[in-house]
Amino acid sequence: MNSYPPELLAQLAPIMFVAGLDSPATKSQDAFQVLTLRLRDALLAQRKVAIWQPEKTKSFQVVLVDRDVRFPPRKLLPLDDPQYAAAHSPLSPLTPSSPLHPDGLIAPIWIRKHTTLLPSVFVLFLRIFEFPPQASKTLPDLPDVDRDREREQEERKRDTELSAEVALRKKSMSERGIKLTVVLMASRRMLDDPTLDARLTFIRRQSGLDSRAALFVLSPVSAAELNDFVRSLQQALYESAVEYYTAHSKRVRRKRNRHSQAHSSYPGPAAVSGLNIPRPLRPEGWTVRYEYKMACFAEFRSEDEVALKHYQDAYDMLIIMFGSTAILPPRTKRWAEAKVLADCINIKIVKLYLYNNEHALALSHHNTHIRQFGDFSRGWGIGEETFEFWSWVARQHRILAELLDQGVRSALILPVHKPALTSQNLHALNQSTRIPGELDFARSAGINPSHALQHPGFYYYMAARCTEMRRERFQAAIEAELSSQPGNLSPGFANEKKVEHLAIILELYTKAYELFKKYTPASSQTQAQGRLTLWIAYRIAQTYHQSGKFDMAVRFFERIARTYRREKWYSMLPPLLSTWYTCAQQLGDVELSICLLIEMLGHDSVESEDPGSLEEDLLAVLKSAVPATPEDTLVVDLSEAQPIFNSSVILWTPDINVGESSAFQISLTAPTCRSIKSIPFSSLAVYVKDRVSPLIIRHSPSDTDPPLLGVVNLGHITPSNDDDLGGSRTADLRWHPGSTIVFRGTMSSDVPSVLKVTKLALTIEVNTWKVEIPLPPCSSRVQAGHAPRWLSSLDPPKFIPIERENYDFTAITHVPHQLDVSLVHHAPAFLDESYPIVVQVTNTDSRTFDIVVDILLQPTEIDDAVNYIVVDDQQSSGLIKGIQFGVLGPGASGKKTIHLFNSGAGGERMIDVSIQSRPNDSEDETNEDDDNENDLLSDDKTETLRTLVIPTVNPFKVTSDVSYRHKQEPWPGLANLQTFDAKFWDDRRGGEAIASMKFECTGPWNLLLDSVTLEREDNIQAKIIECSTDQDDADMFPAEYLPGDEFRAIYRISLATDEEISEDLILGPGRFVVKWRRNGQDAELDDRLCTTFISLPSLRHPSDGLVALLNVPPVATLHDPITLSLIIRNYHPSRSANIAVQLEPDTLDGFIVAGLRSGHIPVLLPGAEEKLLWRLIPVECGHVRIPRLKIFNKRAAIVAAQGSDQSGSNADIPSGEVVRVVNVGHDRGCSVDVGPAGGEDHTILVLP
Amino acid sequence: MPANLTLNAVAFISPQNHPIFIRTFSKQNEHAIKYHYVAHTSLDVIEERVNASGKQAGECYLGLLYSMEDVVVYGYVTPLKVKIVLAFALSDAIVRDIEVTMIFKALHMAYYSATSNPFLKLEASNGANNEKSPYPSVASPKWKAFRNRVDEISRVVGSAANSQTSYS
Repeated sequence: MNSYPPELLAQLAPIMFVAGLDSPATKSQDAFQVLTLRLRDALLAQRKVAIWQPEKTKSFQVVLVDRDVRFPPRKLLPLDDPQYAAAHSPLSPLTPSSPLHPDGLIAPIWIRKHTTLLPSVFVLFLRIFEFPPQASKTLPDLPDVDRDREREQEERKRDTELSAEVALRKKSMSERGIKLTVVLMASRRMLDDPTLDARLTFIRRQSGLDSRAALFVLSPVSAAELNDFVRSLQQALYESAVEYYTAHSKRVRRKRNRHSQAHSSYPGPAAVSGLNIPRPLRPEGWTVRYEYKMACFAEFRSEDEVALKHYQDAYDMLIIMFGSTAILPPRTKRWAEAKVLADCINIKIVKLYLYNNEHALALSHHNTHIRQFGDFSRGWGIGEETFEFWSWVARQHRILAELLDQGVRSALILPVHKPALTSQNLHALNQSTRIPGELDFARSAGINPSHALQHPGFYYYMAARCTEMRRERFQAAIEAELSSQPGNLSPGFANEKKVEHLAIILELYTKAYELFKKYTPASSQTQAQGRLTLWIAYRIAQTYHQSGKFDMAVRFFERIARTYRREKWYSMLPPLLSTWYTCAQQLGDVELSICLLIEMLGHDSVESEDPGSLEEDLLAVLKSAVPATPEDTLVVDLSEAQPIFNSSVILWTPDINVGESSAFQISLTAPTCRSIKSIPFSSLAVYVKDRVSPLIIRHSPSDTDPPLLGVVNLGHITPSNDDDLGGSRTADLRWHPGSTIVFRGTMSSDVPSVLKVTKLALTIEVNTWKVEIPLPPCSSRVQAGHAPRWLSSLDPPKFIPIERENYDFTAITHVPHQLDVSLVHHAPAFLDESYPIVVQVTNTDSRTFDIVVDILLQPTEIDDAVNYIVVDDQQSSGLIKGIQFGVLGPGASGKKTIHLFNSGAGGERMIDVSIQSRPNDSEDETNEDDDNENDLLSDDKTETLRTLVIPTVNPFKVTSDVSYRHKQEPWPGLANLQTFDAKFWDDRRGGEAIASMKFECTGPWNLLLDSVTLEREDNIQAKIIECSTDQDDADMFPAEYLPGDEFRAIYRISLATDEEISEDLILGPGRFVVKWRRNGQDAELDDRLCTTFISLPSLRHPSDGLVALLNVPPVATLHDPITLSLIIRNYHPSRSANIAVQLEPDTLDGFIVAGLRSGHIPVLLPGAEEKLLWRLIPVECGHVRIPRLKIFNKRAAIVAAQGSDQSGSNADIPSGEVVRVVNVGHDRGCSVDVGPAGGEDHTILVLP
Repeated sequence: MPANLTLNAVAFISPQNHPIFIRTFSKQNEHAIKYHYVAHTSLDVIEERVNASGKQAGECYLGLLYSMEDVVVYGYVTPLKVKIVLAFALSDAIVRDIEVTMIFKALHMAYYSATSNPFLKLEASNGANNEKSPYPSVASPKWKAFRNRVDEISRVVGSAANSQTSYS
């Protein structure tokens, strides 16, 4: 931007002259002086002259002037001169003394006139006279009236003076249409003075000021309030300023119109072209001049669109002028001025577009400008082959970059060129193909890349590139000069010689670099430098290199190469490396040169015309220089760079046992395009994991040429043993381009570990240099990588591809121990038994082992299962560790029995057996001091795992059967005192239960039952009366029971109840104890008896309400009377019963009955019984049905009848609930609802 | 408006940002290296765009990345994060997204079918970098199909541009 007149670029704003604010000579605390100073600051801070100022805040460009400032004359002649009307402005091309005479377009001085010499508004700061207040104190005797009068007179006098001054000023302003505003500074006291208004009106009238926004009063206020004042002052005056510039515009437009009409009156170019006299400005020029002026005035008014329009018109007209060499002869002063003007207008247009965020239009205009003038330049003889052209293009790019940079800093937002169309809405558009408009949009969506605005770094970069071109052209021109062809030397050549191109390029690149860095996305900024910045950095480094600042260049190269290497963009490295190398050469840095040369050797893929040049260079460097520290080895670490050799290390077997050996091959393949044959590699070091010193292969030169595929046998290598062969391994370490040397051998280890080649290192030894080049064991130059190949035959060469992963190492493990483990047991196991499991370990190896066994009983999910294992004397419900089997020699075996105890329910039990074997090192007692050896041996442990699943079953299947019987004995009376005794066994309600229990052997094994006993555990509700097992039967036990055999025990239980009959079950009052053992021949079986406890089943209370117990003998003799008794018992705890008994007459055929036929019995209280008797004489033989009795409990019926009495129903009294009749001879019923209500099914056998 | 697309170079870049294949079609061979730089630097913008879009992943076409000197660079990311970069010659014409997307899709398909070659796996080293292996070897000189298809696409793009200009 500095290359253009600032006036032509700066953003124009209305000008405000401010007078009367002369900075005080001395600093004092006077309120008005402070005010003056603050005002000056506040006004000047309103606006800074800048190029990029899109804000429309109605602010003025303030110029502080002297109070009696003079404006430049409008015309050179005095106003009273008769020629005045025909005269022109001093800057007009028509004025002979003007710098533009006779054909200049417009000069920066014109802008300067409007920005510094002529205001649009003039603000005059004045002090209003204030009658000193102290006067009243000094003259106390003077009456008030006198003093007021005196003050009034004084004020009037001063105000008149002030008005006269303002009026004078006002007159000169009005001539030019400049608004005059007076600001009267008054003290705060004055503001409150009632006379102030009158005085102000007087001053305004006297001075002829406008009525609006022409007179302000300001008292000393704070800085903030002052800013408000300044703002409101500008707001008030802005309109006047706009009017002022509008008036100018109108005037210029009038002139332009006059011109275009009077166009023909000017002499044509042909008339004067032949003469060498200056021609007057042509009509096109006048158009440019007027359009430009109008554009400027519009810009003053902040009317951007209007300004843009006029600038474009001016620009278009300029292009027309440039199009003709007749109008603007090239390389003249006017031509150069016009060119500058065109460039500046271009910038103005671009800027105005950008204000409006029209990026594409802005950039398009800029590009068109460059293209247009590029075309012109060719015609002017300063085309693309000249440095002038490139200098100019660079300037254009640079100024755009600077403009954007300024813009971005304030308000300009750079567009992001994301595609407007995403695949989703594209898809949607394809769906809705029927709407033609949208499809057209989809088809046409896109941007013109040359109109895509980017951040200013790109344009700085372009400027730098153009400057590089400029330098190139310039150097070509210098060469031309040296070769004495100065024919086409351009006028600027002498100037160009003074230009430091490289410095400019560097500056531009540096600016671009900073901007690129600034615009690098934040995420990648943290992890790495942006790649775009690296690219710029590369250009900077190149420039440093060209300008001879090699040290700077080297620093850049180092940084750039790091990223390129890491990201594996090797293709970009060779040019970088070669420049770097020349820098290193220039700097005389031998070590760096060596490193770079070696790295360059690795870049094989680049076709170079001289494949041997690098190796020659390397040799030359090595031979010519001496290392700074000869005893040190120079290590060239190429870990991230491309290696010289394609290397691979292959181990044939993935895993081997201790003592076995694995074959390996190390192959090194030389680059195909670079010759490294003459590089004197002195040795190759192979670093093997766990091996202290590397394996060294020394170079032994041979007379024959190295073959394309060489093989070197390395023999056997053990990592632990370093003493072998030492330096005796030799090979011819020379490579033809593309040739391979395969080093092969075998490796083994005495200890378990991993065989692996960790590093290869080649050493070059020349002339006290010792350069070590570490190589990764497996690497390749090409990214694709080589499939690992195993050389299987040398002649003809054959390779086997290696398929396995991790082909570069071999795992070494101990030889596994040969053990035979057998687990003997007889499934299924019974519950409650001690179940033997025999673990037998047989050593089938040739070594002696120490065997230790761990046994884990897995927890089961079976309910109530309590399981445990017993081995020897250890018992556990989980893990038993460290069961010693002792030392087993070859062929020997050890045996242990595990006893498993299961309880709960049947199901599967799981046991894990882990057999650990260690070689028995008791023989090594002699070398116990060799701890290391022992430690290593103790690692040699083999674990054999077995899992055992044992099904477990119950030995017996137990079923039980319970029936209940009512008590037949008469109940004790209700008032029987005995029943209140605590020990009284109240079985009135409970009755008794008769139960049987069946044990069935479920097998599959035979059982030897030793005894079955009932263990009594009488409780308060139940007691065992008797049991069949109580009878001692000597033959019964022990007895063998086969699967399916059964054993049954019968027992009787008396049930007692409390008053309350609870619903709870009664616990079985005891358990059966079955002692048994498995009957088998197995010696492992335990002789001890197993005990199984079987609890008696729970019992239930019979819950009867009313029961009639019918007792009748089962057998009778004909005509022999028998007694039939019926006991009606009220079991109900609280209700009494109203019983009606009825003997069914139709069933009386077989008997003659004496007794109650039908009747009521007295109310039966709860817990009471009533016994009824009948005498029967059988009159028939055979099974005679006993008479049926019907018993009703009428209680509920009576209650119901009583309830229905009121309704007057005389229905029959319902018969009531039927009471169950139980024949005690058949009383097995365990539930209430068994049997019909009567005893009709019961018969008596009547014998004759 | 005819699409005046002149394809100068195509670059395929692996998800690890290593170059897979860079093919230049411009006449000057000494400028081939320039397109390596172009491809490399475009990664910056690609990363920025991809990170910016973030959530709405799945959008492959990234649009204009940047234009520098006489080259316009467009980017594309396959769902498997292989980046495709196109360098066109800068011309003062609208480049329609739909056309560029089409070229990208053709190139993507070319790459996709080339990597489907089962023999690539055989060729690739089955070392530690096994997972990313099919990418680099696809462009190795041994397999010409990919190269040919890319060239074919470039030829079609060039001829389409020419035929369109001749029509208008």
